[in-house]
Amino acid sequence: MATRTIRAEMAGVILAIERQAGEAVELDDVVLVMESMKMEIPICAPRAGKVIEILVAEDEAVAEDQPLAVLEV
Amino acid sequence: MSGESFADRSDRIERARAALKDEARTEPVARQHKRGKQTARERLACLFDEDRFEEFGGLVHEQHGSREDYPADGVICGVGRIDGRWVGVWAQDFTVMGGSVGPLGSSKMQRVIDQCMTQGLPLVMLIDSGGHRVQGGQDSWHFARTGRFFHDLVRLSGWVPMVAAVMGDGFAAGTNFAGVADFVIMVRGTATMGLSGPLLVKAATGEEITKEELGGADVQVDQNGLAHMGVDSEAEALDAVKRYLSYLPSSAQAPATIGPRDDPADRPCEAAASLVPVDSRKPYDVRKVIREVADQASVFEVQPTWGASAVTAFARMGGRAVGFVANQPMRLGGMLTAPACEKIAHFVAVCDAFGLPLIYLIDVPGFSIGTSAEKSMLGRRSARMVYEIGHATVPRISVVLRKGYGMGYVAMCGGRGFDVDAALAWPTAEICPMSIEGSVDVVYRKDYEQAPDPAARRQELIDEMRAMIDPLRAAGGFGIDDLIEPADTRRRLNDILSRAGTRRAVPMPPKVRSISPI
Repeated sequence: MATRTIRAEMAGVILAIERQAGEAVELDDVVLVMESMKMEIPICAPRAGKVIEILVAEDEAVAEDQPLAVLEV
Repeated sequence: MSGESFADRSDRIERARAALKDEARTEPVARQHKRGKQTARERLACLFDEDRFEEFGGLVHEQHGSREDYPADGVICGVGRIDGRWVGVWAQDFTVMGGSVGPLGSSKMQRVIDQCMTQGLPLVMLIDSGGHRVQGGQDSWHFARTGRFFHDLVRLSGWVPMVAAVMGDGFAAGTNFAGVADFVIMVRGTATMGLSGPLLVKAATGEEITKEELGGADVQVDQNGLAHMGVDSEAEALDAVKRYLSYLPSSAQAPATIGPRDDPADRPCEAAASLVPVDSRKPYDVRKVIREVADQASVFEVQPTWGASAVTAFARMGGRAVGFVANQPMRLGGMLTAPACEKIAHFVAVCDAFGLPLIYLIDVPGFSIGTSAEKSMLGRRSARMVYEIGHATVPRISVVLRKGYGMGYVAMCGGRGFDVDAALAWPTAEICPMSIEGSVDVVYRKDYEQAPDPAARRQELIDEMRAMIDPLRAAGGFGIDDLIEPADTRRRLNDILSRAGTRRAVPMPPKVRSISPI
């Protein structure tokens, strides 16, 4: 089974974790929400699949391109 | 053949023709199916209206060779009808020498280009090929002249729509062809693109990489933006070709296509206001706004997965094909990144080439900033966005949904800069040169840091500035034509489009050409 890592497209802070490991996701489902550029930025599933691992915690500052979650797709 | 009757001769020709068909080539056809791919002829049957394909050059063979050695020389060429309109096509046949491009095949493809050029037909390329045919082709005698193929392909650009569907290997020659196309589709799992395949990469540089990692759709569509759309099956790829072409005239001089007019032009967009939160920190999906405003079920997003902080979509308004350009607050807050700028610039060029009015939906916090933005050469990518709208001759309308910040607002056709047919804004509009907090922190930092209560002073400055950023002030200075209710957006846009005509002259100084920033 292929995996897909979701990475931060920009630096910011994790505001909320919407999906936990083990949960199924559809394309475009919100997995995490970041804050950056004074905007809430939803991080969505790029393909349908299952969350294998969430790699960050709420309020954590993340760098651009940092892995945030791993999906099984 | 002495004594051969007319009927005998016809029969012999028919037999030669029949030998080219899939039915006569069961083994190579079975191998192609085993690879999870259709044959070139099966693809053409799916692409064209029933029985509307006229092949040419099917009977070619090497001067001293047999027709059965390389049936049709590995590329099926001709003209066919899609939704009643003729298009030129070449479909590379992987079952013949891996679809490699040989001398006769090149001549046939050149013939397709010539027909598209003189008759004003869209060009469709179905790519499934190992590239240039090295066997017998590694010869200066043949190769030195190169031919006018790419010169003509470039001249075709903007005259007729050019679409490529990569349905197998598309390394090297396939990518060279598709690189000139307006719209490129890849089938996930089987299609590859790139300047060279992994074997040559390894031989030349030592880099070891799989086909999929080097040039699969996940890389070339989603990450690099080389192709515009990745689909899961060949049927979807061919549907996407048809859908793309359905919005465009056959050539830059052909009449526009008209869609159904059953969605009333003045239909109120009841849901529109609820789709866009007033709080500009909150994201939303601008595609829903486009779907609400455009004719029902008419929206076709072009390049959906790359540069996703912007949305470019064909749609219809009152049956007329238009191009929507929108910021997407769901992704990166709608910021204009290098991919987003490049995507918009390309889309504007396509719409302008084929006479589609542009509708800009603006909610832009600005251009991406920082090291990665500079590495992406955003200064030039953003300039190309401006370059394309600066040359556009089609009607254009802007609607500010929410943020209209800085140069992003200008590049999104905000205000008067690009002579819009109408500049409109929703009551949620915030139009200003840069973000309020950002400008206070940059310009008034000393001021508030020296105050007895810096935080309170900072807030006071922010509040003062916020009071100046108001849709009524934007209308007050006549930077926009009018404020409109979201529900009224569709009616207003349709009214404007109905009187905006098709093209306008863009006065230029007496130069030969402009020079694109990219």
